Amino acid sequence: MKKGPLSGPSTKRRRLYNYAGLILLLLLLGSKKSIANVAPVQDTLIPVSGLVTDEKGDPFPGVTVYVPSLKTGTATDADGRYQVKAPAKGSLIFKAVGFGTQELPVNGRSKITVKMEAENADLNEVVVTGYTSKRLSQVSSSVAVVSGKQLNDVTSNNVASLLQGKVAGVVVQNASGNPSVAANVTIRGSSSITAGSGPLYVVDGIVGGTANPNDIASVTILKDAAAAGLYGARASNGVIIITTKSGQAGKTQISFNSSVGFNKMSMGNMKLMNSQQLYDYQKSYFAPADFARDRPASLLSQNTNWMDLAYHTGLTQNHLLSVSGGSEKTQFYVSGNYYKEEGIIRHTSNEVYNLRANITHRINEKLKLTTRINAASRNFENEASGNYGALVLSKLNLPWDNPYNADGSIKMGTEEGWIGREHDNFLHGWQFNYDKGKQLTTAADVNLDYYITPHLTFSTYNRVSYSNLRSELYYDVRSKAGRGLGELYNNSSYESRLITSNRLSYQRSFGEHALSAIAVAEGEKNYFENNSLYGNKIPAGLHIMDAAANIQQSPFGPGSKSENRFTKGLVQVDYTYREKYNLIGAYINEASSRFGANHRSAGFYTLGASWILSSEPFMKDQRFIDQLKIRASYGITGNAEIGDYQSLGIYAYTSQYASNPGSVPSVLQNPDLTWEKSKTTNIGLDIALLKRISLTVDVYDKTTSALLLDVPVPYTSGYDYITRNVGSVRNRGIEFNLNTQNINSGHFKWETSFNLSINRNKVLKLNNHEDIAYSSLQWISEGRDLYSWHMRKWAGVDAKNGDPLWEVVSTDANGKQTISTTNSYDDATLQYAGTASPDFTGGINNRFSWKGITLSAFFNFVSGNQVYEENTNDGSEPTSNSRVLPKNYTRWQKEGDIATDPKAVYGGNKNSDLESSRFLQDGSYLRLRNVMLSYDVPENFLRRIKVNNARVFISGDNLWTLTGFSGMDPEMGLRPYAQPVGESGNNFQQNSTKYPLSKKVLFGINVTF
Amino acid sequence: MKKKLLKYYILAAAALLVTGSCNKDLEPYNGKSDKTALETPEDLQTATYGTYSGLVDRMYTKNLNQLGEYPGDDVALSGATGDQVFYTYTYTHFPGMGNTEQFWQGAYKVIYSANAIIERITDGTSPQLDQLKGENLYLRAMAHFDLVRIFGRPYPQGSGDNPGVVIKDNTKDDRPSRSSVKDVYAFVIADLEHAAALMTESKNAAFASKEVAEALLARVYLYMEDNANALLYANKVINSNRYHLVETQPYKTYFRVIPEENPETIFAIRHTLADDRGKDAIGSMYYNDPVTQSTGWGEVYASLAYVKLLDQYPQDVRHSFVEPQRDANGNMLMRNQTPIYYINKYNWQEGVANLSSPVILRLAEMYLTRAEASDKLGNAQAAIDDVNLIRRRAGLSGTALYTVADLKGRASVLDVVLEERRLELAFEAHRPYDLYRNNRPMVRAYPGFHGTNQFDQTIQPTDPQVINFIPEREIGLNTNLTQNP
Repeated sequence: MKKGPLSGPSTKRRRLYNYAGLILLLLLLGSKKSIANVAPVQDTLIPVSGLVTDEKGDPFPGVTVYVPSLKTGTATDADGRYQVKAPAKGSLIFKAVGFGTQELPVNGRSKITVKMEAENADLNEVVVTGYTSKRLSQVSSSVAVVSGKQLNDVTSNNVASLLQGKVAGVVVQNASGNPSVAANVTIRGSSSITAGSGPLYVVDGIVGGTANPNDIASVTILKDAAAAGLYGARASNGVIIITTKSGQAGKTQISFNSSVGFNKMSMGNMKLMNSQQLYDYQKSYFAPADFARDRPASLLSQNTNWMDLAYHTGLTQNHLLSVSGGSEKTQFYVSGNYYKEEGIIRHTSNEVYNLRANITHRINEKLKLTTRINAASRNFENEASGNYGALVLSKLNLPWDNPYNADGSIKMGTEEGWIGREHDNFLHGWQFNYDKGKQLTTAADVNLDYYITPHLTFSTYNRVSYSNLRSELYYDVRSKAGRGLGELYNNSSYESRLITSNRLSYQRSFGEHALSAIAVAEGEKNYFENNSLYGNKIPAGLHIMDAAANIQQSPFGPGSKSENRFTKGLVQVDYTYREKYNLIGAYINEASSRFGANHRSAGFYTLGASWILSSEPFMKDQRFIDQLKIRASYGITGNAEIGDYQSLGIYAYTSQYASNPGSVPSVLQNPDLTWEKSKTTNIGLDIALLKRISLTVDVYDKTTSALLLDVPVPYTSGYDYITRNVGSVRNRGIEFNLNTQNINSGHFKWETSFNLSINRNKVLKLNNHEDIAYSSLQWISEGRDLYSWHMRKWAGVDAKNGDPLWEVVSTDANGKQTISTTNSYDDATLQYAGTASPDFTGGINNRFSWKGITLSAFFNFVSGNQVYEENTNDGSEPTSNSRVLPKNYTRWQKEGDIATDPKAVYGGNKNSDLESSRFLQDGSYLRLRNVMLSYDVPENFLRRIKVNNARVFISGDNLWTLTGFSGMDPEMGLRPYAQPVGESGNNFQQNSTKYPLSKKVLFGINVTF
Repeated sequence: MKKKLLKYYILAAAALLVTGSCNKDLEPYNGKSDKTALETPEDLQTATYGTYSGLVDRMYTKNLNQLGEYPGDDVALSGATGDQVFYTYTYTHFPGMGNTEQFWQGAYKVIYSANAIIERITDGTSPQLDQLKGENLYLRAMAHFDLVRIFGRPYPQGSGDNPGVVIKDNTKDDRPSRSSVKDVYAFVIADLEHAAALMTESKNAAFASKEVAEALLARVYLYMEDNANALLYANKVINSNRYHLVETQPYKTYFRVIPEENPETIFAIRHTLADDRGKDAIGSMYYNDPVTQSTGWGEVYASLAYVKLLDQYPQDVRHSFVEPQRDANGNMLMRNQTPIYYINKYNWQEGVANLSSPVILRLAEMYLTRAEASDKLGNAQAAIDDVNLIRRRAGLSGTALYTVADLKGRASVLDVVLEERRLELAFEAHRPYDLYRNNRPMVRAYPGFHGTNQFDQTIQPTDPQVINFIPEREIGLNTNLTQNP
């Protein structure tokens, strides 16, 4: 590989660590030899191997397999398999915390299969922690597991959206109800703004990608440094590990799941004015003569409900057929899924066909081959009526304007007599225009595990994935958006990703000591390109570039390419003594092409320890506590989610003048740009009581330094922003996860799971202690929450004259501040005005079952955050529709009125509707995210028709929300409006234009043969 | 055993190979390192095109027109709009306005691009490099001048002793403070004189050349009431004989002709077919193709006051730039209470509805600048002669022309000159500056969406909102900046 100009010291250091890893491995190999030498020979040693399962028959990794006579042993691998050498007449001991210990005689057998019996189910789930798998009880860090079944109660095709409210510390925001837009996930508060604040996804052991929710066996969320640390360099925002389903040896299972239902729009607390209401409102502020002339009473004969025209009831359907099974040697899981969701806005939809094949084959005792292939084809449609779109126009268009001509044909909006400001009727554009896209995504994994010795395994995991996207936006010449030309935009993009991950792992126990170690070397290359074309002068109805008379480069950029690389080496050692004391440590070194030559690579480490108190003798005799464990971890993780090429000084060759190619400065060089790093301390407690209660509590402190931020710089510097490492931010919090079996008597069961998380965010330090004016509504300041609102403070309405009032803060010579009010927007003081971060978030799920009938209700809640939404106009826009004043809001009418909203004035009342804290609202809500009623058909009946099990259900999403928020949906603004200044353009419509979330009701059936 | 050891060695070696593959600077496909982007004369030429491309950016071009025209009395906004030009038109500015911020951003980008090139070229290296340096100096001066017009008080108020804008003559990332209006003018003049001295190529009107710098100097001196120099530089441009007024008939379509084929144009910001801004173009607010009704917003019209002035002489060919919209019965169409007179100075270049190459400097302005300077220096006859030259080209003759003895009711020769300037240069972002620098109020007695009393708004030249607030974003990021009252 070619070396960069400034690669000296960091490369050397990295190499050193790699050698250290190698030496460690060699030491481990050496020790095996010496142990073997001292083993007393009292019997012939024979190789013994086999499978260990839990009580459900699922493979059980991490079970200690101990040979007492040799004082040696091993542990089962991720597939629950083990190999040891044991005396033919001796015995083997199998043990795992939370499970009974089993001692079995060898009796000369070379295969011994064991089923472990659980003492408490909750704490004994298998956790796939990325490079290794463990029982939850053996884990020293903060992790959470969501099973495929728990995940798929709500109906969605997006994993993030399915995680909402299910795990403490994980905040999911459905930023849009558009079926083709994914949700945002934040784990333990945001520690970054510019650098991505979303978690890292790992699918089937390999970084990146995602999976169809229907194929997911489990999702593990790694929250603290010790858990996420192995993904060190990019784990700062947590890691979500997805494991897809695999087949089991035995009878072939065919399973069919199908659900069909409806999506309906929810207006929340928002109400638009109807014809009469708007007429009355405008009458209150127009000059009487103008009103008589411009707003004749004849307008009242028309009352168009533009919302009804824009929205409809959409159909959602989800069908999955899967086949799984296999033999001792080969197991498979194959599935096909069809998902289609019609959005609540007409002409929006998302349709996915997904195929998956997971196949595992044991070539021999030493080699295991795994291949996984996933292919998805997606078609999506976005509403494309014209320049504004139905989402916006349905709120702006006037109830007085009739969308139809007398003959029933559709108006364009430019007809004489149309009053609405935009002169645009989305029904007209819908006749001809569209915005459609299709995407093909394929990922193929080939993994090989080589069991070199019973203790040492080499694994290579490799993935090739690529995605092709093509989209078309068409504005017909007959439509308003077609500008008399007819326009077509074609865009195609290609994305590829190559990754190889190679691992050596070692597992062994010596007497009471168990040791495992893993060394990993990984390389990754990501590449992206796109091409856009724009054509116009297209005859009506021909939406193909061939028919365009004039083809040009697209205004969105004609084409681009981009690439980045990552490499990583890590070593992790995990030590357990007497199955009670666990210690884990890891060192990770990662390099990314995104960073400056001086800081391309970075080292990260993690340490963790846990103590299972319930295994101590002094706890043995009590019946109250089943299991008690305390955990502590510390570690450093990183974040590299910034754009490519941000560290170099760049001239961009993307402009032209008078048809001559031009170059302009685009990025100021910053060779010191480096990884954002987080130091996380986590202390946790896992406790299981009375065989029916389990509680997990975690307290953490995550301090992020070298925070990556696109720092806005004065335009006089020639740039808009520079990506810099600017300071540090701390997130502190506490999380509770409680599962209880409230009633478990015979046929009736009631289970509750509850989670709550409280996070506090604080900016600890900024360069030169200076505030950063990040956007027109948000500043970043030392000592404050990272997402602090900053704007003019609303001081209410002047009771005397109905003027808007804002605060003026003046400071005298002694530094004493006094607050007065002003009716001049320009004179009002910009100041901090609350935060967008919630005080606490969480969820509660109750599940009742009686015989085969199960009812579950899942609520999620968010409290204490401020959401910005402009919800009124005070006469500034008489040609747009207005909202009905929300409950508890009043408008000033006459002298002496104590009102929330100023006097309405034709043309606007002293800029009263410009950005200010007037539009900040409490965004707290409690929502019934899902309620489901299901019936499992009795087995004795099913057996007769040769069906294993069958279930029918009815499920409702988002059916009920409790909130004081005046807009459509408080969730839409959970993440703050944080667009850097300078990118907002001339339009000052803000949060009022988000695609609302829908209510869904679905009917479904699951059958397994 | 040996074989096994070898196996481990291979595995370990493979592991090392993978980790060692990331250590070079990946360069973007569409860019070059700034260390190599300005090395050769060809590089500097490419970067100079880049400086010009900053003018084509809508941040500069569109806002330059709207901030310089919408506060005037030649246009009428016909209703509320979601575009922030609403606040510009109605004189209800606030510090966070998007359009002023965009202009500030666009102008300093142009200045930065120019500075990077100016710093690279030593005077006298070669005629080609001198020319490029001169072009960049011109662009830097023009951007500063446009900034000081938009954010600094008119020069005659306090003889330039008010806060102007940031003078940026380097590529440092610093936190500069505002210079006075006077100092900004001095900086602009120095750059333009330097530019005029360096440039020797007579490039077409899409590019800067010696006469372009001189033409801008004439305007700058007129704005600062240095009438002798205004006269001197206007004469230099006129007497260079590089330009001539187009004839009366072709003048009707003057604004559709591309700059390189337009003999009257001194400097225009060339927009090619690839630069069609559609509804984001200047012309989109002034015009909407009456046939398809779908090319523009068409919300800002020629004011009734302007149309009445034009209607004094029906034969005036400048009627071609205003298109009254009537219904089938010939009645004027109205939007709200404003009659619809589309303005078409920014449409139909190369047959595309909203494509135009906005004219920044043209010969007619030089004659009118000379007229104004002549009058102010006491030469009324010369002033009237230049005014009549412009009127004749507009198709007027005989009694439609002025004489020093017969000003046709106008109070002074200066009134005659300013009225002609208004008629000729309407919608080209001159009018508000021309009134305020002459210490005259803006009187808007015509229908439009201005103020609470829609038909009567007067803005005194001393009004704080005659100029714009420094963008709030900049004040937040640079505490050395002071805000306008």
